[in-house]
Amino acid sequence: MNHSRSVSQAFRHGRINIALRKVVSTREIVILSIAIGLFVLFYFTSFRNRFVSPESLTIIFTVIPELGIVVIGVALLMICGEFDLSVGSVSSFCALIGVELYIFGLDPFLALVIVIGVGAVLGAINGLITVMFGIPSFITTLGTMMVWRGAQLIITAGGSISFHVQETHPAFYDFFTGKVGGIPIQFIWFLIIGVALALLLNHHRFGNHVYATGGNKEAARAMGINVNRTKIICFMLVGVLCAVAGFMQTARVRSFYSTQGEELNLMAIAATVVGGTSLFGGSGTIIGAFLGVLVLTFVEYGLIMSRVPSFWFKIVLGVFVILVVIINIVVGRRRKRS
Amino acid sequence: MREPPLVEARGIYKWFGKIHAVDDASFTVRRGEVVGIVGDNGAGKSTLIRILAGYHRPNKGEIFIEGRKVKIGSPSDARSLKIETVYQDQALVDLMSVARNIFMGREPVKRAGFLDKKKMNNESMKILRDMELSIKSPDYDVGFLSGGEKQGTAIARAMYFKAKLVILDEPTAALSVKEAQKVLEFVERLKKENIAVIFITHNLYHVYPVADRFLVMRRGKIVKDVRKKDTSVEKLTEAIIS
Repeated sequence: MNHSRSVSQAFRHGRINIALRKVVSTREIVILSIAIGLFVLFYFTSFRNRFVSPESLTIIFTVIPELGIVVIGVALLMICGEFDLSVGSVSSFCALIGVELYIFGLDPFLALVIVIGVGAVLGAINGLITVMFGIPSFITTLGTMMVWRGAQLIITAGGSISFHVQETHPAFYDFFTGKVGGIPIQFIWFLIIGVALALLLNHHRFGNHVYATGGNKEAARAMGINVNRTKIICFMLVGVLCAVAGFMQTARVRSFYSTQGEELNLMAIAATVVGGTSLFGGSGTIIGAFLGVLVLTFVEYGLIMSRVPSFWFKIVLGVFVILVVIINIVVGRRRKRS
Repeated sequence: MREPPLVEARGIYKWFGKIHAVDDASFTVRRGEVVGIVGDNGAGKSTLIRILAGYHRPNKGEIFIEGRKVKIGSPSDARSLKIETVYQDQALVDLMSVARNIFMGREPVKRAGFLDKKKMNNESMKILRDMELSIKSPDYDVGFLSGGEKQGTAIARAMYFKAKLVILDEPTAALSVKEAQKVLEFVERLKKENIAVIFITHNLYHVYPVADRFLVMRRGKIVKDVRKKDTSVEKLTEAIIS
């Protein structure tokens, strides 16, 4: 009580104005500094400073989008107050459908369109189950995560399927794996999607509904926002982004394997949280999520290039995720006190 | 001919399982009238107004707005009937800015659904100034406002959207004495604009100065419907606790 009164007094004196301006970007600045710090660190620790070579940066910026496109969707959904643990399964299930359609003789671009539709449907299933039965999306998507993974194992009998699209449809291959001005096209797609989602979230009516739904569902509902529809649309967006990322990865790897994307389920949430999105909904940014992806990928490839045995990777990553979230909270606390 | 009342409720029943939360409630609210609904905790006050706000559907009963029979199936139905509800903790989103809160669900847009932020910010500041709220910027997060400022913002929002009836659900419950006083000023202002107010509280003293009429509820029933000039705090208190 006392605290809030002093804050409101501070308002009147305009002090908070300055403080708030700092706050808006505090989280992002923290993550950005961590990214830069890691960049410098791995420059020195990597074998012959290779972390900063054009070759390795090309690799990093080729794989970042496969995680990142999914993560910005997961961030949007988490801001809306829901989780999606099924992203890895959904993205690889969509990729499998795409590969099967291609083998069936469909043009891969047409297959992509269908696959995006499939992603939207799988997302809608997550959303509808969650909203209609009022169960936590954590549980819904835990279930669908297993279901779609299982379906893939049945279809492929646990094996892999090659996807030689670069020979039959080079245009499609370039569409997903080419380069524009030396920059991997995947990264350009990622930027385009990221900017589009950021505009949606911050400058569109729908974004306002997403923040309101995640921030205070009852208030949003009382103000006439259809919170269920908002949530379902977010789930569908995640599904669509999973489909794009999954098919993109399959095109790059040139084959589908039935365990594809298994890591993605949890990595996506880790990156989202590292990016400063609140687990309780209502707060987070696309830029934050973007930086979260950057940071996690730096850690992964930095360790590889520093010749740390790959078995250590998960330990480091786990500790790292916890540390970053602690830093976020501590920074948040300090900013409240000031 | 007499103008029909703004709101008329006839024989409203609402039960949850075996509990009769609202039991045959009938009342009217006239244009620009301030009605205090008082009663002890669990008397059915909140359930009754939640029916008007579109949160609950009555099991039985009819509601007329300006003489026209209506069905209020959702909060957005209530809003399109110009009924605005200011809930104690549920009116605003703390993590969102003042401007975004004021226009939540009714955002002014330019092309293709993109927000008209300039309009949002300018109008917000105008609304807040009209309410004599000294919030310096429409970009402040609502979480930084005091309880009274929050109520003021929510009430200002209702006024801006030309509500005919504003329902205040325990607006003074979490406020300091000074801030509660401020809320009463907000109510006076609504009255001046000829906006009807339903003010729910279990603290009679908070509503007594501003109300024109009182409904006393006990165990789901409206046991007393009386104008202020025909009653006193003592009589009302007795009706609440007896």
